[in-house]
Amino acid sequence: MTKAMSSNSTQRLEKIEVLKNIFTSSNDKELWRGFKELKNDLEISQDSLEADFNRYFIGPDSPIASPYASIYLDKQEVVMSKSTEKVRELYDLMGLKNPLKDTQPEDFIGLELDAYYQLLFLEKEKNINYLHDFRLYFLFEHIQKWIFDFVEKIQSNEKESSAAINLIAQELKSCFENEIEHEGGL
Amino acid sequence: MSYSKTKVDAILNNGVSRRGFLKGLLASGAIASFPGGALARNEAINTKIPYLGKKSYETFRNACPRNCYDTCSIKSFVKDGVLQFIEGAQESTFTNGGCCVKGNSYVRRVYSPNRIKYPMMQVGGKGSGTWKRISWDEAMETIAKKMLALKKEDGNLLGAALTKYSGNFGITHYGVEGMFNSIGYTTRLAGTPCWPAGIDAQNFDMGNMWTNDPEEMKDSKYIILWGVNPAATSIHTMKYIYEAKKRGVKVVVIDPIFTETASKASEYIQVKVGSDGLLALGMAKIIVDAGMHDKKWLKKNSKGYAEFEKYLKTIDLNEVSKVTGLSLDLISDIALGFAKADPATVWIGYGIQRHSNGGSIVRAIDALVAVTGNIGKYAGGSRYGHLSTWGFNYHALSMPKPEGSVGYENAKTMGEFGHGAGGDAEKPKYNDRYLNINKTARELINATPKVKLLWVACKNVFAQDFNRQQMIKAFTSLDMVVVADQFFNETVKWADIVLPVATQFEEYDVNVSYWHYWLSLNEQAIKPLYEVKSDIEIAALLSKHMNRLEKDSCTYPQHLDTKKWTAKEFNKGIYDMFGIKSWKELSNGPVKAKDKVPYADGKFTTPSGKYEFYSEQAKEYGHTALPEYLPVREAYDKFRLTTPHSRFSLHSQFQNLDWMEDINPEPCIYVNPTDARVKRLHNNDLVAVFNKQGNLKVKVRITDNVPSGTVLMFEQWYNNKIYNVNELVDDTSSDMGSFKTGAPGVALHDTYVNLRKV
Repeated sequence: MTKAMSSNSTQRLEKIEVLKNIFTSSNDKELWRGFKELKNDLEISQDSLEADFNRYFIGPDSPIASPYASIYLDKQEVVMSKSTEKVRELYDLMGLKNPLKDTQPEDFIGLELDAYYQLLFLEKEKNINYLHDFRLYFLFEHIQKWIFDFVEKIQSNEKESSAAINLIAQELKSCFENEIEHEGGL
Repeated sequence: MSYSKTKVDAILNNGVSRRGFLKGLLASGAIASFPGGALARNEAINTKIPYLGKKSYETFRNACPRNCYDTCSIKSFVKDGVLQFIEGAQESTFTNGGCCVKGNSYVRRVYSPNRIKYPMMQVGGKGSGTWKRISWDEAMETIAKKMLALKKEDGNLLGAALTKYSGNFGITHYGVEGMFNSIGYTTRLAGTPCWPAGIDAQNFDMGNMWTNDPEEMKDSKYIILWGVNPAATSIHTMKYIYEAKKRGVKVVVIDPIFTETASKASEYIQVKVGSDGLLALGMAKIIVDAGMHDKKWLKKNSKGYAEFEKYLKTIDLNEVSKVTGLSLDLISDIALGFAKADPATVWIGYGIQRHSNGGSIVRAIDALVAVTGNIGKYAGGSRYGHLSTWGFNYHALSMPKPEGSVGYENAKTMGEFGHGAGGDAEKPKYNDRYLNINKTARELINATPKVKLLWVACKNVFAQDFNRQQMIKAFTSLDMVVVADQFFNETVKWADIVLPVATQFEEYDVNVSYWHYWLSLNEQAIKPLYEVKSDIEIAALLSKHMNRLEKDSCTYPQHLDTKKWTAKEFNKGIYDMFGIKSWKELSNGPVKAKDKVPYADGKFTTPSGKYEFYSEQAKEYGHTALPEYLPVREAYDKFRLTTPHSRFSLHSQFQNLDWMEDINPEPCIYVNPTDARVKRLHNNDLVAVFNKQGNLKVKVRITDNVPSGTVLMFEQWYNNKIYNVNELVDDTSSDMGSFKTGAPGVALHDTYVNLRKV
């Protein structure tokens, strides 16, 4: 995937889908498959990628960068707080529901990427614009407010930093910079 | 930006706009056109005008299951499936509507981003930090296969060991022991690191460990808090002590350390460490010499008092003064004040018995209380702890062994709760193998037949067990270590598989205290987060996999409901004791056991049926029959190291939460100014603390709260910091513990160290 800003809707969708697949992966195979779609030249094994990914985002040790919006947006560094509640309400209004309600916070990055992907898909692949305002509201009033802090947290980790995770962070950053620019936000 | 923020805000904040928007959403065909993914299409959109005002809370009954005197009854408040806050239950006069700072941080514990969320395997080897996420099925199949392989290789399951203790004292959590019962005869790390020497001492003296209700202390006329620091470790009891003190009652703290409680006392007595037993005997001698002993009570209720009185004659009060470091006037003042008051009481802390002479100290203090006739008296008593309200069914524990199981032939039941083996109504041919929990490291290394698999539950072995370097060796020598926990800690670091465990808010359970007399239901208030499971659900899943791989290899039920299993723990005895007809009544709030003063009827469960100053049982277990003075372990290095509990953590729990880290960010060693001068230390200097066991580096804090010759470090665990007092504490035994808990305790306060400025 190129780092150039993309305005092609298919490319935009693909980029978000890849990131969504990476962050919603629940095992090494799914993660590897997603990571390979980033089309990169990094030399890393499937096992090492997963170990790095877990160290940064999953655990069991305290994750380097917790992948929940509330950690970056709310005063208290906990999950299931005000931001989570707001995102839950937005999903309700968008006609989306979290099958893991009350067990996986709605502001988990994997779910947010999934929501954004589905909203963009609706507009670009189905030509349904009913939720356009909601997608941009989600982008500008929520995602934009935390995603770059999350990226910064990843990239500022110097202790045993991971080129693969830094690449994912960079892709995430460029993806939303692109979305924001495309929607006239920058 | 081509969108209307105002429009979206209006939809979010106005019920009528929202209804109109949702109707349009249904008509737009958007929902059916979503591609689907981690988020699903919500086909069941509700287009009624929603209520957007403040929602009310749903409330639940909970209990703090930590290893704490206070075992708070909790009321939790949930909104939209999310725990919002908790408060102490008003219904309990003990909890009295308030929790401690640790309890008040529970929401942050449940929703900490650092919780262990999924089963994981350390594929890079123990300590490597290379973890792989696995499914529950993969985790349990791996463990089940290992267990079955052990059974095949060894012909038994003694290679599978369990260490579990007080990380969660909920009654259904005995289902972890039940899980091990259900697979066959296994190995258990048994005994208790907590209070065994004192349990034995009280059992030799009174035939039981049975404490007066702490709420009575408001009516005590003289209170000695001996080696206990409730201002830090039992804040709810302090209100009764304050109430007594307000009425002019003398509250005396006897402790080598000037504690928070000492600062609140009428009088603080800085006794030399380990000399408490001699102090108690000296006080008893002074009371008897003054003729202030309760002759009537002693004649009616005791055995061996004459021998004890004779022994007291051999006590040299000048020697008492010298050994304890206290003037005779002071000792006399306290002794006679205690004897004059009616009722008078002593609260014996658990730290006292964590010495090589710990059991003998508790026996001596018991004797002091008995001499004054304060045993069996309302607001009196030699207070230590009790298990009298713990008479549950232990259904989760009581699992039969699979047919044909082969085990150990020379074992006996161990554990202070008396159900270490469990499950067998008749004395079986075989039994489980018991290893001493207080020597976990060396037992794991030396056991024959070899331990190959270790399951850790409700316990942070590296924070609580002794000799860290040996423990690393022990863990790395095992084929498989499984740790079930809520947070990453040093024990998880040395595991092969970690399993995420539910908090008490995510499961049903029932709790009582080893101190007060309240019974609390613990209701499931929220859904389990991520993929966490309760300990008994994990057991059921293991059973499913074991039985799939080998039919009838595990007797544990394969499906269960924590609510139904909680209900199974109740019986008529519990209902009668607490005056309820059904456990369901507990959803209205905690209830208290009917008032009963221990030993008020003069009936003791000793062999003689009386209070035994002279105990044949003590003699059988290798102790003196009388509560004689036993000197404490001799120094083997420059400073005594004492490692008590901090008020900011409960053992290794809570300190990793951000609130605690904010106010107590780093470990330190407390050093007396005199010792600091000798070592040329200043506040915040970094020192190496070392002894024959190992070494630690920590910052210095200079204070005369600790006596010269003694240094203090709290035993807590600090998240992400290399700090573990067990690097220095060895596993030398205390004198007692084998009688009732199967293994002696640990003389952990008899550790010695030296210091060097780094």
